[in-house]
Amino acid sequence: MPHSDTPEPYRYTLAERLYLPLLGGMWVTLRHFVGNLLGRRTSYTIEYPEERRAYSHRFRGHHILTSRPDGSLRCVACFLCATACPAECIHIEAGEHPDVNVEKYPVVYDIDMLRCVFCGYCVDACPEEAIIMSNNYDMAFFNRASSVVTKEELQKPFTYDQARLGYRPRYPEEEEQRARARRELQAGRVDLVGEARRRQEAAAAGPESSKSAAASS
Amino acid sequence: MIGESWVTTTVDKLEEWGRNNSFWPLPFGTACCAIEFMSVVSSHYDMARFGYEVVRFSPRQSDVMIVAGTITDKMAPTLKRIYDQMPDPKWVVSMGACACSGGFYRAYHVMQGIDEIVPVDVYVPGCPPTPEGLMYGILQLKEKIKRDSKRRLKEKRAHGDDSGSAAA
Amino acid sequence: MPTATIPAPPLLDSLPEGSVEVVEGLDQPTWIVRRDALAQVARQLRDDPETQFDLLLDLCGVDYPDRDERFEAVYHLYSLPRAARLRLKVPVLEDDPVLPSLIDVWTAADWFEREAWDMFGLRFEGHPNLRRILTHEAFQGHPLRKDYDPARRWILTEDKIYKPNPQPTGSESVDDMFERMTINIGPSHPAMHGTFRVVATLDGEVIVASEVEIGYLHRCFEKMAETHTWQQVIPYTDRLNYCSSFINNVAYCRTVEKLMGIEAPPRAVWAQMILSEFSRIMDHCVCNGSTLVDTGALTNFWYMFQPREEIYGLLEACCGARLTVSACRIGGLLEDLPPDFEARCRHLLETVPEFIDDVDKVVTKNRIWLDRSVGVAAISAEEAVDHGWTGPCLRASGVDYDVRRAYPYDLYGEVDFEVPVFQGGDVFDRYRMRMEEIHQSLSIIRQLLDRGMPDGPYIVDDPHVALPPKEDAYNQMEAMIYHFKLIMDGIQVPPGELYHMVEGANGELGFYVISDGSGKPYRIKVRPPCFPIMASFSHLMQGGTISDAIATLGGLNIIAGELER
Ligand code: SF4
Ligand code: SF4
Ligand code: SF4
Repeated sequence: MPHSDTPEPYRYTLAERLYLPLLGGMWVTLRHFVGNLLGRRTSYTIEYPEERRAYSHRFRGHHILTSRPDGSLRCVACFLCATACPAECIHIEAGEHPDVNVEKYPVVYDIDMLRCVFCGYCVDACPEEAIIMSNNYDMAFFNRASSVVTKEELQKPFTYDQARLGYRPRYPEEEEQRARARRELQAGRVDLVGEARRRQEAAAAGPESSKSAAASS
Repeated sequence: MIGESWVTTTVDKLEEWGRNNSFWPLPFGTACCAIEFMSVVSSHYDMARFGYEVVRFSPRQSDVMIVAGTITDKMAPTLKRIYDQMPDPKWVVSMGACACSGGFYRAYHVMQGIDEIVPVDVYVPGCPPTPEGLMYGILQLKEKIKRDSKRRLKEKRAHGDDSGSAAA
Repeated sequence: MPTATIPAPPLLDSLPEGSVEVVEGLDQPTWIVRRDALAQVARQLRDDPETQFDLLLDLCGVDYPDRDERFEAVYHLYSLPRAARLRLKVPVLEDDPVLPSLIDVWTAADWFEREAWDMFGLRFEGHPNLRRILTHEAFQGHPLRKDYDPARRWILTEDKIYKPNPQPTGSESVDDMFERMTINIGPSHPAMHGTFRVVATLDGEVIVASEVEIGYLHRCFEKMAETHTWQQVIPYTDRLNYCSSFINNVAYCRTVEKLMGIEAPPRAVWAQMILSEFSRIMDHCVCNGSTLVDTGALTNFWYMFQPREEIYGLLEACCGARLTVSACRIGGLLEDLPPDFEARCRHLLETVPEFIDDVDKVVTKNRIWLDRSVGVAAISAEEAVDHGWTGPCLRASGVDYDVRRAYPYDLYGEVDFEVPVFQGGDVFDRYRMRMEEIHQSLSIIRQLLDRGMPDGPYIVDDPHVALPPKEDAYNQMEAMIYHFKLIMDGIQVPPGELYHMVEGANGELGFYVISDGSGKPYRIKVRPPCFPIMASFSHLMQGGTISDAIATLGGLNIIAGELER
């Protein structure tokens, strides 16, 4: 066998024998303690529910069924989302639409929120941009029955408030940012780390004002 | 009579206040959700702000069981036993799709929701729920307990009056 | 892939005629071995100086109900000295699914054989303890057989629970001073991470025998994979090693891409490497943090969790979820990177080391921690290899094997990094190893960022693999049709089989996939790095105290989701 058969453990240095590095460790904890006590260092705690962490536009939260300008659902009951869903938690029943120009519409569109694993496959699958996700994560249910949310509930709470949208096919705001970054790059003004810091600070300073409209429960 | 009921009501109220602001959670964490549970107790989210930081791993010392993670059929008897060992009053928060309903594991070894064996008070969906999501769930539980104890108080009062008049 | 070919003939000549059939695999040479010759072949493969297959990576069963010989046991071997791979396949009949046990060739075979018994009903003759391992005691049937209904459950009642009573084998350590005591730890015990059960017999304070019971988180990943399309498996892979789910995603997608003969575009590869390395950092942080908290150093737990939260922020901005990212797709990425990706990465590169250094200062040279960890649960290189270890734990024992170095996939051949190796093989060296790897990962990320983000698409431009851009799917008939087809039928992977591995946070994370050309995987076997490591836990505990066992378990970084799938 080409491998050694006796391990060689680490040997203590003299200082370690004498417990000296302990002091260094204590200094670290003391520094943190005093720093936090005097508030010189920022505290990392997010004071939920008053303050909310700024999640990105891609966050996969509660689903939204989008509507056409006339208020009807965009969904054409094509079952693609239900097919793509690994949790098989979307239940659709299709019905013929009175308007002949519109193929079909969902008579029933339920998502079992307790089964859903928030993978976003339904959003990817939808050919009509009829289902998107919000960045709402405040969900809790008191029983299994209420966890099956219907199409009315999926449509209701968030319509097109940009700030509440999550994972979806298009991100106009990202396009904007990309364009700006490109401009800055061309103008020779790029300060990546500074940019990141500004973002961090902005996120820390301005807790999102939008108070949650309790989703369900 | 009046004095007595005033005392018991106040004591009840005090008890409820204490209970609501100091859950001692028992984390029954098995899988990925347990990792998010750790985030809830660590410094970014810090459940201690609500008075819920006394995480107890002994069922006899805790009153809220947070089931975080997939419960398999192999784990089921253990879960049940631990629930039975908790003293009353006790509540169960089911965290994550797996604990709530089995999630996308419709499989031969996964319990399809812990409510098959223990009563659940609050279901928190998500896979895993964000730490905020879990906190929201726990705050909902707090509301629920408040509501329940109000109702209980009312019932008790009505009941107390009944027995009082009967005695008289 | 630079798989060294093995000079087979001399070895083959010495075997009985017709016992081995050599076929060229897609990825590595494959030998189809007759059952009667298996024990001899295995022993020779290990001992022959020309081959030296000293590491049994994986053993699994496959079920082909249509074949005469219904079952197949598949062994994946690796030779550390020769950097060669070999797959052995042993077909057996349905009526007589018996194979010789290979425990005395590779100790690692122990649990793998139990798993194959549990899942397929393959019996290994000579195995001392062929019990079910993943499913519970009241379970009937063998769930990964094709005729087993995926949703058929069996209920375990308390009276059926197995009660181990481990007894020391030798009578050498009989000491009448103390009373023997058998204690049960877990499964719901914080130090057992909520999912393992250890029953230990103590002689005084010393563990003289122990038995480890797992399966409390067996979520049937492999069966689920067979009932979903290739794309739908990705969210399931997230939940294998949930501390570094991104690496699982990448490993799975790479495997399928290889099988399909496509390649992810450079931009996706670049991003996947960066995010994988960040995931590795996160995983090591969780591991070291929880080891330290298990040994009483709570402060470090908070320090270690800080970088993790920061990295979660980045992952969430890229993928939309903190933990279960599901961010890769076969052929690339789910989404293009966010515009501030690079800035955020650089910010992390600045902040993460601060926290790591804090922990370093508090514990690494702290004698209290040293006393708890140095020399505890030490395992020699030879034993570790025999037990099938890979990854940081193996390197802490002095074996220089890292998939990123041995088989440089992606861009790992082009970046400069060290593979740290320590010689102690104990808890302390595993801890040091992880701390060191965090720094190496940071350096890899820095180099990648300095190379600059490659331009171009983030997913392959092939409508049979990747969904067409949404704009097109909304407006163009052709794209729409592809979109429908891809969702309804899933990706069509050509028939074939392949094993591909990446360096996971715990070691070699391999996926062995078999496609039969239908829209769903025929079989997916994960080679979970912590499975063989956990299998030797009993061995590691021997002679230590309970408190040593706790420290050991933390340091091994056993992730139940991956261990039991
Ligand atoms: S997010 Fe995933 S699990 Fe949830 S409804 Fe959509 S496809 Fe199904
Ligand atoms: S994929 Fe879109 S349009 Fe089709 S049923 Fe689902 S939500 Fe409706
Ligand atoms: S709900 Fe999701 S994250 Fe939670 S344990 Fe289940 S699979 Fe893991």
